[in-house]
Amino acid sequence: MNPYVLTILLSSLGLGTTMTFASSHWLLAWMGLEINTLAIIPLMTQQHHPRAVEAATKYFLTQATAAAMILFAAATNAWMMGEWDINNLSHPMASSMMMAALALKIGLAPMHFWLPEVLQGLDLPTGLILSTWQKLAPLALIIQVAHTINPTMLTLLGLLSALVGGWGGLNQTQIRKILGYSSIAHMGWMIIISQYAPHLTLLTLTMYLFMTSAAFLSLKMTSTTNIMTMTTMWSKAPMLASTMALTLLSLGGLPPLTGFMPKWLILQEMAKQQLPLTATIMAMAALLSLYFYLRLCYAMTLTISPNTTNATMPWRTYTTQSTITLALFTTTALGLLPMTPAIMTLLT
Amino acid sequence: MALSRTTFKTLFGIPRVIYRQPLSFPSTSPSSCILSTRGAYERDYRRPGQAPDTRWPWQKIRFDFSKGVEGIRKHFGLLKDEFVNRWTGPEGKPLINHMLEQTQVQWEFRGPESLNQWIVSSDQEIGGHSAAYIKTGRNNTTCFLYGMLCSTPPRDGETRYSGYCTMRSKQPLGSFDRKKHYDWSNFNTLHMRIRGDGRPWMVNISAETYFSHQRDDIYSYFLYTRGGPYWQDVKIPFSKFFLSSRGRIQDDQHALWLDKVNSIGFTLGDKADGPFQLEIDFIALCNDHAHTEEFAYELYKRNPEV
Repeated sequence: MNPYVLTILLSSLGLGTTMTFASSHWLLAWMGLEINTLAIIPLMTQQHHPRAVEAATKYFLTQATAAAMILFAAATNAWMMGEWDINNLSHPMASSMMMAALALKIGLAPMHFWLPEVLQGLDLPTGLILSTWQKLAPLALIIQVAHTINPTMLTLLGLLSALVGGWGGLNQTQIRKILGYSSIAHMGWMIIISQYAPHLTLLTLTMYLFMTSAAFLSLKMTSTTNIMTMTTMWSKAPMLASTMALTLLSLGGLPPLTGFMPKWLILQEMAKQQLPLTATIMAMAALLSLYFYLRLCYAMTLTISPNTTNATMPWRTYTTQSTITLALFTTTALGLLPMTPAIMTLLT
Repeated sequence: MALSRTTFKTLFGIPRVIYRQPLSFPSTSPSSCILSTRGAYERDYRRPGQAPDTRWPWQKIRFDFSKGVEGIRKHFGLLKDEFVNRWTGPEGKPLINHMLEQTQVQWEFRGPESLNQWIVSSDQEIGGHSAAYIKTGRNNTTCFLYGMLCSTPPRDGETRYSGYCTMRSKQPLGSFDRKKHYDWSNFNTLHMRIRGDGRPWMVNISAETYFSHQRDDIYSYFLYTRGGPYWQDVKIPFSKFFLSSRGRIQDDQHALWLDKVNSIGFTLGDKADGPFQLEIDFIALCNDHAHTEEFAYELYKRNPEV
């Protein structure tokens, strides 16, 4: 892409999210979300492939619908209550509609159907932006309005997302779809705790960003998009295969990796809030997700396919891709658990 | 539209000539079902070589309970399989298959029922004079496509060229006639065993599309046959397939994505009148690790803006 155009699009992406972060008026927040949607559409359609165009179309339709619902909910609240302030979303219908719209924005179940298909149609860098950066602005709004939303709705959204994210990802062979379902599950975890401890939502979001970025960048380094290609990754980039396996286990929430931190703290908070059944269901749903992550690790590192070359290792040439961001995100995705007290101090 | 003309005698012995259009009403052949949601062309497809169905519409009605029961049993059985197959693994195959498979035979012509997955058509649909038929080959182990090509254009004032025949696979359907797709992303080569007649055929693959403008998008490549008595193994990498829409090769080319493939077909249109035949043993997919080409044709901008 023309570097000037790319600069404009990336800076528009940054501008949109920053506007939403900095806004206290619903109109400005909505404007930031719309700027984000419009800025990412040309990035999605860079390759002139019909599947990319299909993904961009589906993404645009869902996000535009969600943005329209956000505006409608904000306008309803302004009409009924006279308040445009984000923190004062007090009308029950407006707050429920707003939550549904924001759920559609980030792909929470039951408004998740677009996410795996859209991710499948994109190339890996754009998929990374979609899974990480595009979640920031809607989640910032959710954290701000969580105290006004019907608690049952938040709990149901969270539980359903964790379950759907686990079950949906079980029988996939395309890794982008698997990461899409992983995104749905993680969003579920974030939502369910937002009514009790919003700082944990922020923590989960941050850890999720690190882990997903590490996963996507590892896949981009090896141009891997399905399980079969993953089985031969070990001979081409053995260190990357091992760190990728650990990143996937971190996404699954296994100690002593970073992904355990948010799940542990969320379950602890839910136990403190006298919600043992909800906590149990969330933990069981996490097992479903863990199964498909483990399956990927099994395919990647615990098996050796007989269908590679005769030599033990192919000749590994230096890559021309930049590796600094991959190294950074992999380190954060794997090694932040001992810093839990420091991170909690930062966030509370 | 083809009309059939039957004469019959009325009660008073006066012969009458009636023109009937055989495809206007839904047929009640055993393959169609009360729960079918497919279009009229797919439901009432008549393979060339079969006699036309000249029954009156009221004779085609099969209104009985067992037909409904067999439809329900078939579709709910397919639905149950879809749920149960998830226990085995993705697409009903264990994960080890997805990790290790190098070859997969997709169509293997063993027995006359394997021909039911294929649709044969020729330019007779537009008024031409070619004919194409399909049957099983020797010992019911191959598919034999044969016929006569005639490039005389139909005299309708607008068609200038004619003379083609094609054989295309039906799109796989799940329960309740929902469209399914083939996932060939583990493979990169098409492998066929054929015995042709020396004519140049074209292999067409159609993938799943989203917009109605892409309805006729087909990825094609040539299939040159030898014609000898010996079988010919043809391996075509998927990176060689080029995009055409309604038969016109597109300027903006892209690679075929293999995760949602709908059907494969063979077309003959080499402007040589006369008989033709193509015998197919199997159509398979394989993964050639030595083939690393992603796309054979140019992808870069041809007229970059300054």
